[in-house]
Amino acid sequence: MSRTVITLGPRQLGLEEPMYFRVQTEGDRVCGLEVLAGQVHRGMEHLTLKRNFYQNITLLERLCSLCSNSHPSTFCTALEELAGMVIPPRAEYLRAVADEIKRIASHLFNCAVVAHIVGEHTLFRRVMELREIVQQSKETIYGNRMDLAANCIGGVRYDPDAGAIDYLKNQLERLKSPLEELYRVFEDAAVLRAATEGVGVLTREQANEFGVVGPVARAAGIDYDVRKKSPYGAYDRLSFQVAIEGAGDVRARALVRLAEARQAVSLIEQCLDQLPNGPVALASFPEVPAGEVIAKSEAPRGELIYYLKTDGTDLPVRLKWRVPSYPNWAALGEMLKGEPVSRIPLIVNSIDPCISCTDR
Amino acid sequence: MHTCKVPPAPKLRLYRINTGSCNGCDVELAATEALTRFGLERLGLSFTADPTQADLVLITGPLTVRSKGKVLAEYAQVPDPKITVLIGVCPISGGAFRDSYAVLGPLDEFLAADVNIPGCPPRPEAIVAGIAEAARLWRGGEGPQLAPAGFPAPANLRGRMSYRAEACVGCRMCQHVCAGGAIRFEEQEAGVSFTLWHNSCLFCGMCSHYCPTGALTPTGEWNLAHPQAQKYQMVEQGVVPRISCSCCGVPMLPVVPELMRKGYRALTRETAQLQTLCSECRQVRSIGGLQRCTK
Repeated sequence: MSRTVITLGPRQLGLEEPMYFRVQTEGDRVCGLEVLAGQVHRGMEHLTLKRNFYQNITLLERLCSLCSNSHPSTFCTALEELAGMVIPPRAEYLRAVADEIKRIASHLFNCAVVAHIVGEHTLFRRVMELREIVQQSKETIYGNRMDLAANCIGGVRYDPDAGAIDYLKNQLERLKSPLEELYRVFEDAAVLRAATEGVGVLTREQANEFGVVGPVARAAGIDYDVRKKSPYGAYDRLSFQVAIEGAGDVRARALVRLAEARQAVSLIEQCLDQLPNGPVALASFPEVPAGEVIAKSEAPRGELIYYLKTDGTDLPVRLKWRVPSYPNWAALGEMLKGEPVSRIPLIVNSIDPCISCTDR
Repeated sequence: MHTCKVPPAPKLRLYRINTGSCNGCDVELAATEALTRFGLERLGLSFTADPTQADLVLITGPLTVRSKGKVLAEYAQVPDPKITVLIGVCPISGGAFRDSYAVLGPLDEFLAADVNIPGCPPRPEAIVAGIAEAARLWRGGEGPQLAPAGFPAPANLRGRMSYRAEACVGCRMCQHVCAGGAIRFEEQEAGVSFTLWHNSCLFCGMCSHYCPTGALTPTGEWNLAHPQAQKYQMVEQGVVPRISCSCCGVPMLPVVPELMRKGYRALTRETAQLQTLCSECRQVRSIGGLQRCTK
């Protein structure tokens, strides 16, 4: 059988972001993969050292716009830890609300892309329409559809009144039954099932070996979710089950995401119901002393780790990330091995790769 | 039977190039493309995956060093004449990523931009408004006018920032927290001048959040699309005039009522007097006042 090497770009892969693959094929099957990264490298590590803590909150929100709230909230958590600040309980809940609303939008976007790739264009539009409820809610509550600007050092920057809370609850209500139906479609619809079941499998053993995180790990049966394993913010007061599947295929990843989107609706509702009164941020901003700290959170794509080193000034000495897409795309080679070339776009999108996070 | 009297405009095709963005504008473009409610199709516009078929080019991202070769090659494939639209502040000014070794933007140093749509990211309605403007340029200034579509802007939308010099104390906190480097203060003889460039503003509202006197506030104005010729006119400006201390005559920036309210809880006849004093005279006067009280 003839061996050839082909290069695939964002247009062939169905990605919004520029990412290139060099794929070795044998006949129509994939036998090797090389990721050509770096198109979205903006020198973020260098930039964060030139910006003070306040500027970095906004800059980091633009590390990636799909998990945009996870970055500033984890960064603020790291700073607060260093400064010994305890943020008000109301702020903890409001941070969780912002994180979960972004999770729904992010997961729905991936779901829509998967539908698009398997040729279900009506479903694609339906999911995008559904996602508009979330986009509209973000714009109404926070003032922007993508970058919420919800975080500040010592708390959050928004304080929803009774009207805003009612509005959000109402919007969540509108999401419930369509999300449930969407889950059933991805679970049962014959076309989707045929296209996604048993495709791009990553076994539990392989998942462990590659250290994959987020929905990719949970789809392979690994019970790991930072919100449960090492709860931060308000998560120890919220009740939810970690969404787990076992098959480790494209279908399982989609189902985990859709289960999490439904769960996120419930988490936001719990936050709004339990929302304590009081301030949303600390009034003063104590100096951040010299030191180093690690903070982590469960971003939509999985465990996000921040390492921050400071020297007592308001510029970081070092800021480094371990983003979820990094281990996940390393495992793509295993998922693609032996698969037909035509399935590459679907399998690549099934890990919901975030290029801007990984290339930064 | 109703008929459409206006003949439909000829179809124009749009081609997208991502030059290394954070994906915010791209995801919003995907929503703009997918959902008919934003009205692109009714303007006779559709997307193509083939650069050689395109009339309009939409560019996102700050142009990374690594992407430059591919981006410019792709751009060159779009036949001339073409209209180039820069979406989001990144391609227009470098946005949040300016001053990095890995970023080459602004894009107009490498290609001829026609329409800029600032924002971070701009809402789909703003993207459509900018693209409609570009389509009119392509059609020689003719073509269907844009009918309002999409969602009405919510009350606390963070759009164009607005500045009131009469409330500003020149503390420069806004400049300190601005990640886009959009805010400049300049010392002039008449006072301190303030400039905010909307083409670098990230819509994050940090400046207004930390402004102690409410001199900066976000407005709901979201349609900031403009032709390239107006790129450097997209500014918010004001001058805080210098006045003289009513006691020693030293030149000083006026103390605004907002700050007095913070410092003295309420505005009284006494605070109105203190307001006209420089910080040193004010100190002397208010400590003197305190001594009077304790006696």
